[in-house]
Parts: sequence; C-alpha cells; structure tokens
Amino acid sequence: MTSKTASIYDWVDERLGLTELADFARHKTVPVHAQSFWYYWGGISLFLFLVQCFTGVLLLVYYHPGADAYESVRQITFVMHFGWLIRSAHSWSANLMIFSILVHMFSVYFMKAYRKPREFGWLSGMALLGVASVFGFSGYLLPMDDLSYFATKVGLQIPAAIPWIGPIIGNMLRGGLEVNEFTVQRFFALHVVVLPALFLPLFGFHLWLVQRHGNAMPPAEEARPFLQRKTMPFFPNFLRKDLAMWLISLNILALLSSVFPWSLGKQADMLVPAPQGIHPEWYFMSPFEMLKLLGMVKWLQGEPGEIAGILIFTLGILLWVLIPFYDTSKESGRRGRAAHYFGLIAVSALLATTAIGYWTIR
Amino acid sequence: MNYPFWYIPHLGSGWVIGIIAIFHVMISQFAVGGGFYLPIAERKALRMKDPDLRSAWVKQLASHSKFFFILTGVFGTVSGVGIWFAIGLTHPEATSTLIHNFVFGWAMEWVFFLVELTTAAVYYYTWNRIDEKLHLTVGWVYAGASAATLIIINGILAFMLTPGDTWLAVAGTGAEASKFWNAFFNPTYWPSLLLRVCVCTSLAGVWALITSSRMDGDKQPALKTSMVKWSVAWLVPSFVATPFLMVWYLFMVPASQRALLTLGIDTINSGTFSTVTRMALVIIVTSATIVGVAYFLAYRNPTDFNLSHAIAVLLLALIVTGAGEYSREMLRKPYVIGRWMYSNGVRVPYVSRINAQGYLVTSSWVWGSAGVATTSYSRGEAIFRGECGSCHTLDGYRPLRQLLDGRDRANIRNFIVMLHQNKDDSPYKKFMPPMVGTEQDVNDLTDFLNAQVNPPVPAGQKPLLTAQK
Repeated sequence: MTSKTASIYDWVDERLGLTELADFARHKTVPVHAQSFWYYWGGISLFLFLVQCFTGVLLLVYYHPGADAYESVRQITFVMHFGWLIRSAHSWSANLMIFSILVHMFSVYFMKAYRKPREFGWLSGMALLGVASVFGFSGYLLPMDDLSYFATKVGLQIPAAIPWIGPIIGNMLRGGLEVNEFTVQRFFALHVVVLPALFLPLFGFHLWLVQRHGNAMPPAEEARPFLQRKTMPFFPNFLRKDLAMWLISLNILALLSSVFPWSLGKQADMLVPAPQGIHPEWYFMSPFEMLKLLGMVKWLQGEPGEIAGILIFTLGILLWVLIPFYDTSKESGRRGRAAHYFGLIAVSALLATTAIGYWTIR
Repeated sequence: MNYPFWYIPHLGSGWVIGIIAIFHVMISQFAVGGGFYLPIAERKALRMKDPDLRSAWVKQLASHSKFFFILTGVFGTVSGVGIWFAIGLTHPEATSTLIHNFVFGWAMEWVFFLVELTTAAVYYYTWNRIDEKLHLTVGWVYAGASAATLIIINGILAFMLTPGDTWLAVAGTGAEASKFWNAFFNPTYWPSLLLRVCVCTSLAGVWALITSSRMDGDKQPALKTSMVKWSVAWLVPSFVATPFLMVWYLFMVPASQRALLTLGIDTINSGTFSTVTRMALVIIVTSATIVGVAYFLAYRNPTDFNLSHAIAVLLLALIVTGAGEYSREMLRKPYVIGRWMYSNGVRVPYVSRINAQGYLVTSSWVWGSAGVATTSYSRGEAIFRGECGSCHTLDGYRPLRQLLDGRDRANIRNFIVMLHQNKDDSPYKKFMPPMVGTEQDVNDLTDFLNAQVNPPVPAGQKPLLTAQK
C-alpha cells in the first residue's frame, strides 16, 4: 500500500474498525467435508435476492399498477431498450431464488442443522421461504396478461378454501369478488412495500444467527474426532468460492434470460373463458395438485375434499416447521431416523405431486 | 432444395448438426490448443532446476497426454465424421458446393489429420522411452499438424459466411474452383482464425484444469499449485484479445447481416428472431464468468481446486462454445453460403426460375412426374420439408404450429405471399429466405400449414418422398 492509500485506510479503519472486521473474518472457519457443496446455497439465494432488488427497482421506474398494468409491461418488454432483458432477469431470478431456497432448506434439513442451538435459524428460514413464495405469487399477477390473471384466480382458490375465514381472506386479497385492477394495486403494494419490509429484518436476523452459530456439520462429520475434521478460513478462502458460485449463478441467470426471454401473453380479458391448461407457478403446483387429488376421492368430493386438503397440507407444514422441537438429540436415535424418513417422504410427495400436476395439464 | 425425407420432428435437422458440431468443436479446438500446451509444458518441465518438481511435472504431463490422446483421437475424430454425415443430410446442396470448391483443401486437411493422429499416439507411447529432445520434437510436429488443420478448416467455415466478391463473380459458372484461394482467404478469414486460436488456447487451459484437479493438493501442493496456475494462465490471452478480434470480425461481415445484431438489442419484438444478439450476450457474460471462476476457484485456491470446480469451468466453456457456434450460424442468415445460397438450399440466382417453373419440378429429390396423383396437401408437405424444414419444425424448435397460431387460412396465405414477394421493407427479409415457387406452390404450402394450425389434417395423405425423376 502506498503511503497515501495507507493513510486513507487508517482514517476509515479508525472510524469503522475494518482491521477488526478482517481479523474476525479471518478467524472464522467453515467446515470442509463431502457435503460442503450445500453450504453455498444460502449465499446463492442471497445473491439472487440482490438481483431481484436491482432489477425490481429498474422495473419500478416504468411499471404502472392498476388499469395500465398490462400496457406498461408491454412497453417494458417491447419498447424499452433492454427492457425485455431486465424483465426476464427479474422473473427468472425469482424462480431461481425460490429453487435455491428450497435446495438450501432441504440441505439444512438433511444435515440436521436445525438442532440446538440453531432452532431460530430454521424458523426464520422457513418464514423467509414463506415470504419469498408470497413475493412470487404477488409478482406473478402484476403483468396482468391472460396467464397471470387466470393463474392468480386459480391460486387464490387455495386460501379461499380455508373453512370460515377463507372467503374473507380471498376477498381481502382480491379487493372484491373478482381479480381485477384493484387486486393488481393490492398485490403491487404487497410486492414492493409490505413484503420487503417483512423480508429485510427477517433476513438480517437469519444472517446474524448464521454468523453467531456458524455452519452446522452433518451428523457423520460431527461423529469424527475433532483432530480429523478439516476447516477453511471464511476469509478469504470460502468467500472466494462463494463469489465464484455467485458468478456461476449470474451466468445461469443471464443464459436463461437471454435464450428464453419471459413471454407476455394477451391482455387479460375477464369476459372470456380461462384458456386450457391454466396452472399456478411450479412452486405452488404441489398444494394445488394435492387439493385436486383429494377432490377426486369419492367421499371427499367438493368442499370436504378442499378442507381435508388444506388440513393435511397445513399439518404437514406445521410438522416440518416444528421439526427442531421433535428431533432434538445430537445422537441419531429413533427420532432422528423418523425425522429423516419424514424428510424423504416430504421430498417425494412434493416431487410426485408436482410431476403429476404437470403431466395432467398436458 | 433439401431431402424431403429428412425431417427431424421436434428437434429440427439444424440441431442434429448443432449438437454434434458443438461437441466436436469442444474437442477439436482442444486438439489444437492442447497440441501446443503439451510441448510448451514439457519444455518448461525439462528446464526446471528442481529435479523432484521436474519429474512430477513430466509424470503429470504423461497422464494428461493419455487423456488428450483418448479424447481427441476417439471422440474428436468420431464426431468429425458425424458432422459430415449430418451436413450431408441436412444441407446436401451446400455440402456439394463446399466439396466442389474445396476438395483440394480437404485433401490437405486429411493428410494433416493422419500426421496428427500418428504423432499423438507416438507422443503418448514414447514418454520416457526415447530421448527427451526427440520426444519434445514429436510434440512440436503434432502441434504443427493440428494447427494446419485449423488453418485449413477455418478458410472453409469463414467462406460460408463471406465467400467474397471474386468467388461470387464466378459462382454458378463451373469455374468456381479456379478461385480457390480467393474463396479460402475470404474477408473474415483472418479475424476468424485469430478468434479460433484464442478459443483453442482457452480450451487447452480448461481441459488441462480437468486433469490438474485430479492431483492431491495435500500430498503434492507444489506440483498442483504450479500446474493449476499455469493452466489458468492459458485463459488470459483469449480474455484480452477476444473483444478486439470480435469487433474486427463483425466489421468484416456484410452490413446487412451485421444488422441482425442490433435488431435484437432494442426489443424482444423484432429481437425474437435475432437470437444472435442474445447469444452474443451469453458469450460476453460467460467468458467473463470463466475468467472470474477460474481466478477465484483455481488461481487463488489451487490446492483446493477439485474435479467439480473443473467441471464447472468446462461446462461454462461449453456454453460459450455453443453460443459462439450458434451465433456464427445465425449471423449467416438468411444464407447458408453468404449471398449465394439461402439457408434452405435454394441458390440465389435460381429464385426467378423456380418461381416460373415451380418448386417441386425443379427439386432434385421430389417426385414430380406427370401422371402421379398428388394433392395440394401432399405437395404442400413436400414444399414444407424442402423449403422450411432446415430451420423449422412443426411443434418443437421454431415451431410453425405455434408461430402461426391464431391465423386462419387467408392469414397464413398472406404471410406466405409476403415471404414469397420478399420485398425490401419486409422485416423477414433480413433473416429468412424467400418462399420460392409458383402461385400453385404458395397455395399448396398454405393448405398444408393451415391443416397443421387449424386441424383436422386430411386423412391418408402421404408426402412425396420417392426419388423417381
């Protein structure tokens, strides 16, 4: 460092404590083992969230919620220079973010990283996934083309099927009995104000917990003697690899956005019947299909089927969220094995119902 | 003027070439770049003062040369033959033109192939068996022969984009081969060659990272560090030079084709067709990613660099190669041989004759004899396969059922008439060949496409496939 740079660094350091921070990061370590690959997924989700913020702000400049919604998205896509790219990047990164959060969640689950003292990390992560999926749902309607309009209509059937309070929730979200420009206004407010206001503090809390407790090791690694375990410094080694993963993620995003630009359908027309094959986004396909399947059971047709579906799904989510309080032991005993099998069943059920959903739409 | 029986549903015949070609380029350009990597690395090893490091480098290079020999000698050669097979079926007219013009060039190339394959085998089998200097010389002979193959094939590939005015002046006269060297050293020859040299050196580094990643960084930290870092350095020249070469290359491409690039920048609307712009974006972003990932994962953490990391770099290189080859193909639109032959195999000067006589009677492989019962639908299908099939499928890649969706018969016909008239103000003129043929051909194609878009399809209809002319 030249003397001038050094003096500037000292000036900043004195006020912000950069050296302290660098020392701290250098002493922080990350476990190295066969499953280390899964540690990157939290960082990838964060990166994709940052892309969402950046592209979201750019879209915000030209997007008009309400009756002009479709026209403004049409202009972004077909008139603005590189507008199609920014919109594609926003939509693709939203989907990739949900995917990476799901991978992150399952890797945490199967590494049993929810056990003491990381219960709050798990709970805040689940809350973040919940908020992220509402982000996706609310954002999907905003272009107001036929696909997003009818998919939102179908999607709102899930909360509306909740006994007693369902219709009230449905009407509140729609801003009336039908999905229309008032729904767009509400979803827009939710998408750019309410959800970020929930997401950011939750996310800060989640990161603080990760920092406080460090990376959890899978049970097999924990069982190894301390001296046989390998670690690497967080700074700079892990951070460099993390940055490489971010670059790869950016590249995949650029590839998808460029080669498969997000399409814009016809303007939503409430008077025409829904086109064939309308379905919710892939991450909502599983509950949607479960409701459909249960409705096919003879003695569950109609409302009882919907209620049973909602109950089963809610129970499943509840069991999933509360897993840290069931599988508490460090040893992989009977409960640990049961949790593991529960996880496998959950993954299989999600994949199977999603696949059936897409298959039957065909 | 394509074979009417050669129709690949869903994928499209262009992708049959594309998949084989991208796979082939990944290996064949490694065969050239790696051909220089090996003797340069061997020379570096032989000059090392530390005997342990020197013998470790030689051992590692012998292992890398085995990988190199198998990959290029087996997969490179087989996929090369595969390209011939695929282009012969997909673009018989274009392949015929290339053979008639460059038969001597290919003869030279095959001589160098033989030298290449022989020296690659000798190089691998004689590690520590012959004198070090002689072994190194074998490596240099291989490098020279492989470079010669690139120098030759580049002339032929660049010709397809920019044949040059001199060759075009004699095209169709039967004296085309007399302008062999003009066609060979065509306007994009030099920028294209230098671009390919850059790709070759990068691929040499990328593939070397695969074998380097297999070394145990805990047991041999010095060897792995030096080998990985040295391999990463092979990516640098390409990173520095490619942007400038790309500009030079594009500058040499005719302005009408260069306009395809800007077509896709402004909007997705017209840009839908200008995938070349989007592919260019992919090339730029992915090239930068490769350098970043190689820097973070390999250069700064050489001992931790493992096979997964190396495969990530390789896959990124595959994306760039794929996008690069795709862009090059797209930039040629609407031609398969610039300004001479349209991408559906129709020669530019033949358009008026076909318009007067009809497509089917002038097509070499379609049953057009008098007295043979045909229907408008079956004739339309033969025209579709001949004129549209080299770029479009019905319901897969560039699907006509989807692209024409929502149009009724009259609307489909208007669209075909627009393609037939091929007026200067037509946006399709920039990237699509004209629809050639008589009014009857236009109606036949309309009937066939209308039946696809607005079913039902007439029952019991068979396309005209048999060559009985």
